[in-house]
Amino acid sequence: MKRIIAVSIIALIALALVPQIHFAHAQAADEKSAKQYINLRAEVWNEFFRMTTAAFTVGAVVSGTMIWLVWRFRESHPKNKIPTRWEKLDDPTTGTYEKEGGH
Amino acid sequence: MVLELKKPRPVWQIMFSTHHTDVGLLYLVTGLAFLFMAGVLAMLIRTHLFFPGQNFLISDSVTFNRIFTVHGLTMLFLFALPVANGIGNYLVPIMVRYKDMAYPKLNAIAFWMNPIGGALLWLGFSDTSWVSYAPYSVIRAPGPAADMMIFGLKILGISSILSSVNFVVTILKCKHPDLPLRKVPLFAWSMLTVSLMTLVAMPSYAAALIMLLTDRLGVSGFFNPTAGGDPIAYLHLFWFTFHPEVYIFLLPAIGMMYELIPRFSRKPLYSQGSGVFAFVMLGMIGFASWGHHMYSTGMDFTTKVVFMIGTLAAVPASGMHVFNFLATMWGGRIKFAAPMLFSVGGIALFFSAGAGGVLNSAMPLDFISHGTYWVVGHMHLFLTGTIAFGFVGMVYYIFPFITGRMYNEKLAKIHFIMMLWGTVQVFFTQHLLGLEGMPRRVYDYPAEYSSWVQLNQIATVGAWILGGGFVAFLINLLYYSSKGKEANMDDPFGLGGKYYYPHTAKNPHHIGY
Repeated sequence: MKRIIAVSIIALIALALVPQIHFAHAQAADEKSAKQYINLRAEVWNEFFRMTTAAFTVGAVVSGTMIWLVWRFRESHPKNKIPTRWEKLDDPTTGTYEKEGGH
Repeated sequence: MVLELKKPRPVWQIMFSTHHTDVGLLYLVTGLAFLFMAGVLAMLIRTHLFFPGQNFLISDSVTFNRIFTVHGLTMLFLFALPVANGIGNYLVPIMVRYKDMAYPKLNAIAFWMNPIGGALLWLGFSDTSWVSYAPYSVIRAPGPAADMMIFGLKILGISSILSSVNFVVTILKCKHPDLPLRKVPLFAWSMLTVSLMTLVAMPSYAAALIMLLTDRLGVSGFFNPTAGGDPIAYLHLFWFTFHPEVYIFLLPAIGMMYELIPRFSRKPLYSQGSGVFAFVMLGMIGFASWGHHMYSTGMDFTTKVVFMIGTLAAVPASGMHVFNFLATMWGGRIKFAAPMLFSVGGIALFFSAGAGGVLNSAMPLDFISHGTYWVVGHMHLFLTGTIAFGFVGMVYYIFPFITGRMYNEKLAKIHFIMMLWGTVQVFFTQHLLGLEGMPRRVYDYPAEYSSWVQLNQIATVGAWILGGGFVAFLINLLYYSSKGKEANMDDPFGLGGKYYYPHTAKNPHHIGY
């Protein structure tokens, strides 16, 4: 679990940094080509495609994880026939016995 | 209708009761009734847009405007808010271990304002769109309809404030002394957050409505350009309330998922603390982004950047909720009964809607999508895809506790599949329509634009599928509340464990259960 969290954090940082590097390059290029014509429409659509790529990448990771979770941890999965350790408790949702106060 | 099978009571006893479960039930029934009424209007709109150049269903553009106005107002103010309040009324006092809401009579008064406000909105049938932007709503919007809408919204706003006061006092002042605030269940936290948000946000809209009314009466000119007023001022007042209101609609649905996902995963919530933190963060960030609705109004660059960053700040907090849900499901033994299916579907669509929102908040992209069907798709993906999914899941969950009977699980699964399919087909397609340049709130469109025709037809078929899903929901609610199998009240979903909040509510002396 910890490894997955670490990979997710690294992936998110990378996704945040990559556009910044791109913008820095673009800014440097702008300074060199000052007074040149900029096709705003093309720039905006480029921005759109970049952001959609980032959104779809994160979306694919999250959706893929969710689909796998749904498949793997469904109660009908062969590995999921045995009750979990929380199900022995009075309240599995808080992981407590009644004497400990429940919610 | 048989309510509470084991202790049946006449309906009038429930109607004039101030007990929190009865008021909650009234909120739920009226909220769901308005959902179906507004759903019929949505079907009319989408069916009308199936063919360009046709007017056999809706004869003129003014009627079309009236229909989408009342559809929007009803879904937001008469379905989303009342259902959240209904579930909140049912569960919050039990969650904080108190006998009732802090002010039971005030609670009942707040509910009874809803049918009155709803009647004004429906009898007026205004054409201003739900946002009622000036100057149209000041200068041109016809007669009593717009005024009735303003009065209706005022009444609903007062109702919201009264119920918010009640929730805040119940949670903060009436909770059991042995229960620390940080351990209060996350659904109650979501209700606390949205109640505080309502108290901060609503006065701005209340002021805007009064100014709108006095402008319409001709005694002031706040938003009337011919009298020296500024219509943009209305937009600021409106969005200062209604961007936070997006979270006010959303957070209870997230709170309901926090109730359902651990229950059906049969394991503890992954992190209570991060859930509380994310609610509080969203509650504050909700106020930092109202300007992103107004990028194209001539706002200066720095202000736009501030609002852009303010909007993007919601992403980490929303991500915390999604991560919390996934981590809770991880390692569980998940039972996919209808409430869990709707919760999982809601999370998936919440993520998709959020991704669209990130694109919206980027200034240059906002100029492309502004005023197009993209916005319609985005907003509806949140409202239907997340909020309605959360609410419907919770209604299925609470159904056996209210009626004493079980709904039909197979029909509920058909409802889920049709609702998920329909939602994706309608609202993803509307995003594409927006990118194709189709403006929103149009009565007709040129038949020569073949891509618009095709996409509109795909969206309309999706809407019919979505509507079909809600027919299954209606059958489940009406038929199985009186004819369904008797529920095992100790464990209606066969999940194990002893603590079921709603069941505890059956006992009026549930304090401390």
